[in-house]
Amino acid sequence: MKQVFAALALGSVFVGLPALADAEVGKPAPAFTLKDETGKEHSLSQYKGKVVVLEWTNPECPFVKRHYEADTMANTLKGFDAKKVVWLAVDSTGHNTPDKSAAWKKTEGFPYAVLQDASGATGKAYGAKTTPHMYVIDAEGVVRYAGAIDDDPRGKNDKKVNHVQTAVDAVLNGKPVPASTTTPYGCSVKYKS
Amino acid sequence: MRQRVSKRLALVGGIGMWWLAAVAHAALPPSAVASGAPDEGDPRVEASLLVDATEVKPGDTFRVGVRFRLDPGWHIYWKNPGDSGLETDVAWDTPGTTVGPLQWPFPNTFRTPDGFIVTHGYDGEVLLFGQAKASEQLTGSLNLSAGINALVCEVHCIPADLMLTRSIPVGPKTLADSETTPLFDTARSQVPRPVADTGHSVALELDAKQLSPGQEFTGTVTVKSAGGAGVPTAEKDFFVAERIPGVAKVSLTQTAPGRYALKGKTEPDAPTETPRFKGVLRLGTSAAGYQPLEVDLPMAPFAVVQAAVPVAPVAKAPSIKDSLSAVKPVAGASAAPAESSMGLGMALLFAFLGGALLNLMPCVFPVLALKAYGFTRMVRQEQGRVGAHAAAYAGGIVASMLVLAGAVLAVRAGGAGVGWGFQFQEPLFVAAVCAVLVAFALNLFGVFNVGLDGTALAGKVDQSHGLMHSAGEGVLAVVLATPCSAPLLGTAVGFAFAAGPFTVLAVFIALGLGLALPFCLLVLVPGLAQRLPKPGAWMERFKQVLGFALLGTAVWLVSVMGGLAGVEGMTRLLAFLVAVSLATWVYGQSQLQEGGRKWAALGVAVVVLLGSGVAALRFEDTAPEARAASASSTMALAAPWSEEAVASALAAGQSVFIDFTADWCLTCKFNERTVLSRDEVRAAFVEHQVAFFVGDWTRRDARITAKLAEHGRAGVPMYLMLSPGAPDKPELLSELLTVDSVVDSVKRASECSKSRRQDGAKVVCAAGFPRP
Repeated sequence: MKQVFAALALGSVFVGLPALADAEVGKPAPAFTLKDETGKEHSLSQYKGKVVVLEWTNPECPFVKRHYEADTMANTLKGFDAKKVVWLAVDSTGHNTPDKSAAWKKTEGFPYAVLQDASGATGKAYGAKTTPHMYVIDAEGVVRYAGAIDDDPRGKNDKKVNHVQTAVDAVLNGKPVPASTTTPYGCSVKYKS
Repeated sequence: MRQRVSKRLALVGGIGMWWLAAVAHAALPPSAVASGAPDEGDPRVEASLLVDATEVKPGDTFRVGVRFRLDPGWHIYWKNPGDSGLETDVAWDTPGTTVGPLQWPFPNTFRTPDGFIVTHGYDGEVLLFGQAKASEQLTGSLNLSAGINALVCEVHCIPADLMLTRSIPVGPKTLADSETTPLFDTARSQVPRPVADTGHSVALELDAKQLSPGQEFTGTVTVKSAGGAGVPTAEKDFFVAERIPGVAKVSLTQTAPGRYALKGKTEPDAPTETPRFKGVLRLGTSAAGYQPLEVDLPMAPFAVVQAAVPVAPVAKAPSIKDSLSAVKPVAGASAAPAESSMGLGMALLFAFLGGALLNLMPCVFPVLALKAYGFTRMVRQEQGRVGAHAAAYAGGIVASMLVLAGAVLAVRAGGAGVGWGFQFQEPLFVAAVCAVLVAFALNLFGVFNVGLDGTALAGKVDQSHGLMHSAGEGVLAVVLATPCSAPLLGTAVGFAFAAGPFTVLAVFIALGLGLALPFCLLVLVPGLAQRLPKPGAWMERFKQVLGFALLGTAVWLVSVMGGLAGVEGMTRLLAFLVAVSLATWVYGQSQLQEGGRKWAALGVAVVVLLGSGVAALRFEDTAPEARAASASSTMALAAPWSEEAVASALAAGQSVFIDFTADWCLTCKFNERTVLSRDEVRAAFVEHQVAFFVGDWTRRDARITAKLAEHGRAGVPMYLMLSPGAPDKPELLSELLTVDSVVDSVKRASECSKSRRQDGAKVVCAAGFPRP
């Protein structure tokens, strides 16, 4: 009997391997260490104790462009206590370079780092599918929100619900995140292939 | 035949459409055509507004649509775009005309080279259309506008915002447009039709009864074709799911024609409504022709599990209690009515009547019969002593009730929860009672004598021992009564258990007096005793028959032991019972001896008894899976009780019936066999979709003890009927069920949930669904 169980357990390990473990709400966020556009390293573990917002981005994507024209990300970040919340953009575009990110950051004038993930390893570990695709990770390193930046994919609504704002506020106040998973919208992440 | 025709149609359509399209396009006014999504100056999509009529009669129906033509390599998206992208949006502005929902031909599936991102949409060309109806008042011309918002992607994505307008003359007759009608017909044939309209049937069977947030699930989808004809096989990408609230992803794999393995994963946020399995299925092959079907079937309700998400940054998870507070009655609130609605006097009366009713319960009956036999003899032979024996019997009962009350108080003082019959959760107690029963039976068979002094074999009855015998029968009656419950008893004992020590004692005494009532009546009502049958030779036979009744009771206790300690425990108990029999036999032999021999025999009996007891009476708790014959297995429909399971069933809109039971509870078993397993009851459960839960109290279970206390009860059985219409107002059923009482309760719960649905969130059925 024991052997049977052992075989089953072993089998399930092998079956389980190919499936990518996406970042899931309620589970620890996948660890990463990535260089930003200046070459400085950032790892998730160094931000333990703070709420981390990850924004998958690609300056070429019309959805990202729209949000940067409207300053959606910068305005959202402004609403948070800078001592408690860290915002990191991640670019998993296969053909992206640090120079492009640096130029973009200069044009748009936002304060946060643009992490370089041209290999796509971190993006795939998180299961990032679109730009933008947002994740909120709490002070313990647990994913608390994954999905869209807001409820307005077409950018035409007068009133929008900013999901990231709602999620970070809930996490900071020790409350459950109301809609902890939403469907992200935007361009697909242009992974190296 | 049909497939061949459709194949030919597709071929002709393919060639013809290109030509038709060119013609139709040329005939359109410039305002009905637009192109967008400019990529380095080149537009990537061209959209045209098509109508399948050249002239429309007021009140007639026709079709309007937008045909998209995309550059090679570019695509737009289906209503569920998949991992990225955006649903193509067509907004109609058609004064005097209504346009129905957009019809979506079966989409293509696009994958990135590594397969990481999967989307659904259309490349090449597609016509998205809707049914339109012209108003009766229409005159002049019919104006149509379509605002289009589409995301057009190759590797990168470009949004397209287009506005298309055209007008159609209104005339006395609707004239079909021979150029565009075939385009609409082709598109129509690619739109999945609801399964019911096609004569097919689709069934979904999930492997689990409930979905858990953030978990994977599996199941089987079976498609049966109309008239039993074989279901065609399906090609790659034959299934595209719609976005299902609460479900993160879902996929089908064909395992045989018409049979598909379903795999999916739920989202961490459980929706309140049961998710529906929605999507489109395309059967057939490109060679033989396709048949697109629209599938829409209920999946399974979500189980409410402890949220994996900690509430505060410090890992403080919300307790199950918190998450259930919406549906679970607050413990204090529901226990309070039981206390406040019943005073001590009422509790004592209930206890007394409950005790009297216990005499009719199957557990006490053998003792009752035994006592009746004893009285029959006494009434004739020593009338004067009937009163004394009745008093001794009642005394034995009351004394053991006091011992029981003391045990309850002692255990309660130790902080543990106890209930009526709790001692049967203890294997050693079960073994002891079993041994007493067997010894009693052997006594009735004449293996040994009680109350006969060895030196007085002439048959002289020793008066004090005779009274002791009666008192002993009283003790046995109490011991055997505890696994039974009677109407009123549960309420009274529950009241006592929630109250102070004095009340516990008082209620138990009242209970004892009630139990002793029949024999007290024999004494107190003049002449009643005289009506008992005359003693005679039948009495010896009757006595022996009663011995078998006691052995039957012992068999039941052996099965209880099986539930507590498994086959191993049962074997040990039976071995011990054999030893007990041997010891009593040796003792019986000693009664015939004198002097040294007598004492030697007595010694042997004691040694056998003690030795076998020490050797055999070691019971280990069995693992739950070893308890094959536990209470929960008696009811085939039942699921094990837990607050979470009940809450999720209620949240899913199901009524819930909970059977709190135990293997050693004869009343429970009686109800289960005679009422709950009856076809009428089961039919009612099935008809009203009642979720059936069993709370097994065979062994100690603090959750169940607490639940019993919450409803003012201290023991099993307890039957609760909960309606999703009033989840905080469970109906407490009587300890003795009848088919009608259960069926009526099921109906009330069902009606209650209906009335609530009609009345929104307000609970309106409290009056029709009372707490007794």
